[in-house]
Amino acid sequence: MSAALWLCIRLPRLAHEALAVAADHSASTDEPAAADRATIEHSAIAHTAMERLAAWAYQWSSLVSYRLPDGPLLWLEVGASRALFGGHAALLAKLEAELTQLGYSHVCALAPSPTGAALLTQVQQQRCVTTRSQLRSRLEPLPLSLLALPQAVLAALQSAGLRRIGQLLALPAAAIARRFGPQTCLYLRRLCGTASDPRPAWRLPVTYRARFEFGSEVHATTALLFPLRRLLLEFQGYLRGRDCAVLRFTLEFEHYRHAASGLTIGMSAPTRDAAQFLLLARERLQAAVLPAPVSALSLAALEFTAATVVQADLFGSNAQQLQQLQLLLDRMQARLGTEQVRGLALTADHRPEHAWGFVTPARSTPAAETQAPARPCTLLHSPRRIEPPERLLSGPERIESGWWDGGDATRDYYVAGTEDGARLWVFQDLAEGAWYLQGLWT
Amino acid sequence: MAPRLAAPSGFPELDASLPGGGWPVGAIAELMSDAIGIGELSLLVPVLSRLARAGRYIAWIAPPYLPYAPALAQRGLPLERMLLVQTRSLQESLWATEQALRCPAVGAVLGWPAYIIDKNVRRLQLAAEAGGSLGILYRPPEAARESSPAALRLRLHAASDGLAVEIHKSRGGRAGLTLRVGVAPTVAA
Repeated sequence: MSAALWLCIRLPRLAHEALAVAADHSASTDEPAAADRATIEHSAIAHTAMERLAAWAYQWSSLVSYRLPDGPLLWLEVGASRALFGGHAALLAKLEAELTQLGYSHVCALAPSPTGAALLTQVQQQRCVTTRSQLRSRLEPLPLSLLALPQAVLAALQSAGLRRIGQLLALPAAAIARRFGPQTCLYLRRLCGTASDPRPAWRLPVTYRARFEFGSEVHATTALLFPLRRLLLEFQGYLRGRDCAVLRFTLEFEHYRHAASGLTIGMSAPTRDAAQFLLLARERLQAAVLPAPVSALSLAALEFTAATVVQADLFGSNAQQLQQLQLLLDRMQARLGTEQVRGLALTADHRPEHAWGFVTPARSTPAAETQAPARPCTLLHSPRRIEPPERLLSGPERIESGWWDGGDATRDYYVAGTEDGARLWVFQDLAEGAWYLQGLWT
Repeated sequence: MAPRLAAPSGFPELDASLPGGGWPVGAIAELMSDAIGIGELSLLVPVLSRLARAGRYIAWIAPPYLPYAPALAQRGLPLERMLLVQTRSLQESLWATEQALRCPAVGAVLGWPAYIIDKNVRRLQLAAEAGGSLGILYRPPEAARESSPAALRLRLHAASDGLAVEIHKSRGGRAGLTLRVGVAPTVAA
């Protein structure tokens, strides 16, 4: 078993930044109001922000933990995963880059004990140690004031003439327990990694729901993009942690004086890429009209799929091209509507207007035999009644349909010419004698 | 200027008169047809077919009439490569045209803008360049009276034996020629 190694992230401005991210990017928000709310709802905001960060952190470690009474600290057990991510320096670099992208100030430290890692987030440098002996030598010169002990205990240590953590650790355990209480003794053993220091494992929720409350109402949809980006990055972390992907997720907008509104973002293939999510969400937001200014934004996903589903029915294209096409289709369908982007296919029907149909784009369809005489490249949406044509260039081709397919009709099709040189595909309905235009030889 | 890529039109008489020997790849070509139904789409069938058979998609952005699948299949176009996009406004059409042109999986984009200003033609041309695709804009015959930044502009007239193609503007080539092009027959023998 690899030795436990704890990564602790201190988020000194968690609640403030959870709110400010919206305020900073919205011209219509006033800072003081946002700051007031930050103090009033500090703990609630810190809690929801921490929940989202825990889900995000799950991609790096399956043991994620936080206890808000301890402060804005998030722990990840990375003893096993650091090998996976190419050493702890590489892991830290990736993690810190994403935290910066998310817009959170942060200090990270690494130590063999969670308590030790938490303490090291308060020092200026050399915050990463990997063995217990390294941890002890790193702790010894540090001031006692960094210890997470009750104020009374710190004062007692002070009056006993102790200044450095090393001085305290040099005392016999029994003496520490007698003079400063057994809790102090246990704390020091946990700090050094010699006593067990169990952490409640944060549980990955089965469905995903993240909520982001704004300090004040957001009026412009563009101001929603930054917080949305944060939600999507956190969502991506959650999906990576679960090793799954989604085909759709929902954005819900809360308003002060209006019922909540929502948008469902769908994709043609399982996706977990935040950049692609953002692209699609942006298209939809640009096209959407929100009923009122937004006071909170939520992201929800209920169904998950395996991350790597190969769409075998997509016609022999290479993978990269397929991805590019999917991105295009998703963008178009997000902005224009799903029904607005379609493919074409043949159907086995001898009646011209039923010999084809719309299908899901880019799907292979069985090739139907076409033995019919030449057909024009374009068709009118429905036949249009015309005067009997003066110039028939060729025909007739008789097409009959009977009671069995819904219309008892016989048509004689011709190619007709017009004065300006166009060629029309026309037919005469033999029952009623009337002439119709159905297609154009474009 | 670097030699431009061209996609053979499938009509030797036309290729001989176009720089690079075909339709300009990574650029916009405007087709101004005197009337609807004189073979203006048939002129493109060989190049579209070639692109689609090479695995690229053909995007039809808001065509005024339905592309008729049985006819396209008869002429050798693989239907699974066709993308038909409906829009509600000119703005949406231009946006969709640009998106499709930029996508490397798309080989050609056909648009029918009712009205388009030079700035937008330029924008589409940049998109075509980025995506390495062929952009075709069908424009009304009156558009020939105005200039346009499109790389190639053709006027199409009906002719008894096919289509008369007048080269109105050809970047890096010769303008003013009119050619007879035998587009696909209207009626099978």
